[in-house]
Amino acid sequence: MKQVHEGSHAVSEAVRLARVQVISAYPITPQTHIVEALSDYCADGRLDARFLCVESEHSAMAAAIGASLGGVRAFTATSSHGLAYMHELLHWAAGSRLPIVMAEVNRALGPGWNIWTDQTDSLSQRDTGWIQLYCEDGQDALDTTLMAFGLAEMLNLPVMVVLDAFFLSHTYEPVDVPDQDSVDRLLPPFAPRFRLDCEHAFNFGQMVPPARYMEMRYNLQLAMQAAEAGFAQLAAKFEELFGRRPQAVEALACADAQIVLVTSGTVTSTCRQVVRDLRRNGEKVGLLKIGMFRPFPADSVRRHLSRAAKVAVVDRNFSFGAGGIFAQEVRAALCNRQGHAPVFSYVAGLGGRDITPRTLMEIYDQTRRTATPPDESIWIGLDAEQVKTWRN
Amino acid sequence: MLLKADPSHRLPLLIPCSTGYTLENKTGSWRFFRPRYVQKTAPCRASCPAGEDLARIQTLVSRGLVKKAWEQLVLENPFPAVCGRVCFHPCEKACNRGRLDEAVAVHALERGIGDAALDVQRFPAPAPAKSARRVAIVGAGPAGLAAAYFLSRLGHRCEIFESRAQPGGLLRWGIPAYRLPPAVVEKEIGRIARLGVAIHCRTAVDEALFQKLVSSHDACLVACGYNRPIALNIAGGHYARDGLQFLEDLRGGKRPSFNGPAAVIGGGNTAIDVARGLVRCGAKPILVYRRTLADMPAFAPEITMALEEGVKLMELAAPLAIEKTGAGAAPAAQYILKLQKMEVSDRPIGGRARVIPAKGRQESLRVQQVFAAIGAAAHGIAQAPAAAGDGLVLSHCQFRVREKPLVFIGDPATPVKSVAHAIGSGKQAALALDTLFRKGYTKIEDELAACQIGPGPALSMAAYQGIEAPPARRVVAFEELNCAYFESAARAALPRLGAGLRRTRFAEIEAGLSGDALQAEARRCFACGTCNACDNCRLFCPEMAVVAEKGTRRIDYDYCKGCGICVAECPRSAMTMEEEPR
Repeated sequence: MKQVHEGSHAVSEAVRLARVQVISAYPITPQTHIVEALSDYCADGRLDARFLCVESEHSAMAAAIGASLGGVRAFTATSSHGLAYMHELLHWAAGSRLPIVMAEVNRALGPGWNIWTDQTDSLSQRDTGWIQLYCEDGQDALDTTLMAFGLAEMLNLPVMVVLDAFFLSHTYEPVDVPDQDSVDRLLPPFAPRFRLDCEHAFNFGQMVPPARYMEMRYNLQLAMQAAEAGFAQLAAKFEELFGRRPQAVEALACADAQIVLVTSGTVTSTCRQVVRDLRRNGEKVGLLKIGMFRPFPADSVRRHLSRAAKVAVVDRNFSFGAGGIFAQEVRAALCNRQGHAPVFSYVAGLGGRDITPRTLMEIYDQTRRTATPPDESIWIGLDAEQVKTWRN
Repeated sequence: MLLKADPSHRLPLLIPCSTGYTLENKTGSWRFFRPRYVQKTAPCRASCPAGEDLARIQTLVSRGLVKKAWEQLVLENPFPAVCGRVCFHPCEKACNRGRLDEAVAVHALERGIGDAALDVQRFPAPAPAKSARRVAIVGAGPAGLAAAYFLSRLGHRCEIFESRAQPGGLLRWGIPAYRLPPAVVEKEIGRIARLGVAIHCRTAVDEALFQKLVSSHDACLVACGYNRPIALNIAGGHYARDGLQFLEDLRGGKRPSFNGPAAVIGGGNTAIDVARGLVRCGAKPILVYRRTLADMPAFAPEITMALEEGVKLMELAAPLAIEKTGAGAAPAAQYILKLQKMEVSDRPIGGRARVIPAKGRQESLRVQQVFAAIGAAAHGIAQAPAAAGDGLVLSHCQFRVREKPLVFIGDPATPVKSVAHAIGSGKQAALALDTLFRKGYTKIEDELAACQIGPGPALSMAAYQGIEAPPARRVVAFEELNCAYFESAARAALPRLGAGLRRTRFAEIEAGLSGDALQAEARRCFACGTCNACDNCRLFCPEMAVVAEKGTRRIDYDYCKGCGICVAECPRSAMTMEEEPR
């Protein structure tokens, strides 16, 4: 049923429909609306879950780990500094192979103190062993959250569902909220493969010597490698139930495109418009939306970019001393293929600055006019006046 | 390690998981510092002249074990019901809780415990006597009775010689019934007598009897308090009646009748008691004090209640002379008290404001009677020797050893003249004398030092007898507590008769606490430095290395990593971190 929800509440609806059993959370803007709605659901009985108000994000994840190890479906949500504070336990959750789902609302890290969107917080956690799925709009947020539970439990890996601050978390859109029965068919009750059980006592997370540690890591990587196929398998079932098919990577007009713009998050919606406009003017341009960042769907990316002459990656994030993070990943996916397209790295919209159709048009134009990409990322929309003053 | 293949998608799952115990991993080897349960001294106990272990006592009461609390209390003080009423409770001033909200109402707890056991006839069994010595004690006041109590518990045979008709000293004839009902005194003295202490009343000890006692006993204790009034040294001073005698008359059942103003000269507890006694006899008393209210040595609550009952206070007035009025004067105005008004000088003296006569300002009061309550002194044989080279001078008693040990205790030997200090004095003398009997005169100071509480001078009888470990010198400071675990709670107030009712009767003013109210007040006690098995250490220990054992806690050093969380989370500083011995 179509309802109008803000992006945060699209996630809350999905969590409710997933019949999550434990929610542990600590509030932080711009995430708070997600757990606020969930606490209401717990209070009024619409969701039969234990809501734990904890004293920090570190504890929020610790509680989720405990709950998940106890064999129940667990959820938490955070953002920015809260996510950074959880960092240690993100490794622990993944290493323990616990199918925890977390909504993470992209917010810039301070200082400068900034509550607006920026992907650097979630991308800083890329090596923790969490699956990361980036959402474009409200519907995507709801669908991805439902997919996240299925994928997590299929692979025994934690999944992070990532939303842009405000552009998505606080924007109201019509969202198709599925009925409970259908969701129950997609997500049967969580059947843990291991759990804390006094009747069958095991000791979890103990010391693992060098002779075994590497195999354990490799085992986790095998699960990661299965994620894209697992996602597709689940998406097929999703489509059967709901008539929509979530995609880890979505290619729009890439088949004959000279230049392919690569995006993630809400920029994608803006980019769809720009691509439509450019195509109308006869420009051979395509769009590649990357929904799944971890594991990085290198195969799909390579396939969709195989015919492009140039690739322009738009990053709303930055790795200091390196460049835009999605661009690095795309380059890494392509680099061992003969004659792959040059990859342009553009950085835009940090700390919540708007990325408008004009911004994307400038990126397209610059890519078209430039034969070889520069070594460094290109920062789009820097205020020349400001930069000049500190050059003096 | 667990490798599990799930049939639904056949992905192998390798997680760190075993059936082994974490017990195999003895994390104790990681430790550089070790936590230890260390009994420390609570500030209340350190400031109690009788050395009562209040942290332990209140822990027991908080669990409803009032009888056990009484048994613990009387280890150090045989007069809980008396002290609960009349002690000025320095413990409450020292109480760490005062820094959080209000001090624990120790007086109410002590009284509640004492009253709950008032009809218990006997103390818990004393230590069996092995080589009993005979000790003669002159004076059955609190110091003499306390000395007899402690000496008896150490196996010695005591005889007390008292000039008055009944034992108790100041407790019996100096403190009014509305503060200390006679039955309470009788019951607590009765228990001491039942220990086998012979109390010979109406036996004034003169020089001849004294010599006889010295020769017939192994030691002699002189426990005569300050009971001789200091006379008012002004013109017509002989017209003033003695305040102490007036109080004794009241306790003896006399009810002199007054209808006019009466002047009471003095600012101490006796002066207050005399004034309040006069109110009850129909007089309109005026307290005449040469300094200001703030400087009065009387206990503040007593002053407040006196004022409530209608006692008038004339500050900054010193008596000059008392004159008898002419034959035609009204009976309610038989004396004229001439007064020199004083003023506060801008140069203080010894912490108190210095007062000097205000030039040209004299006043006179027409009163029915003048009472003097300006202090008391000892007399006759009770005079302690000057602190000369031939004796041992301790904080609360003085020894003179010639052929037989002679010990002076009570008011003349104590720095503060109070019931609690008298009891402390009796205890110090008893322990010193027992040491002298068993180990010799030269060992006294070392033996007493071993059972000194905090910085002293109070001593622990329990430690002396080996019932408890030597008390810690360290006194727990407020800063060492973890007050996150203490919630604010209002201090108990004892129900009290209204001033109107008090004016006409000698009935006890305050009622005691019992049952839930007593328990609730005991729960306010932080139990500074004493483990009360609150279990914070056990709950917070990340290694589960704290073991609960029969009401105590123990650390399993095989697993304790020395993180110190238990010490940080101990609310009452009953634990300490120490460097690991190498």
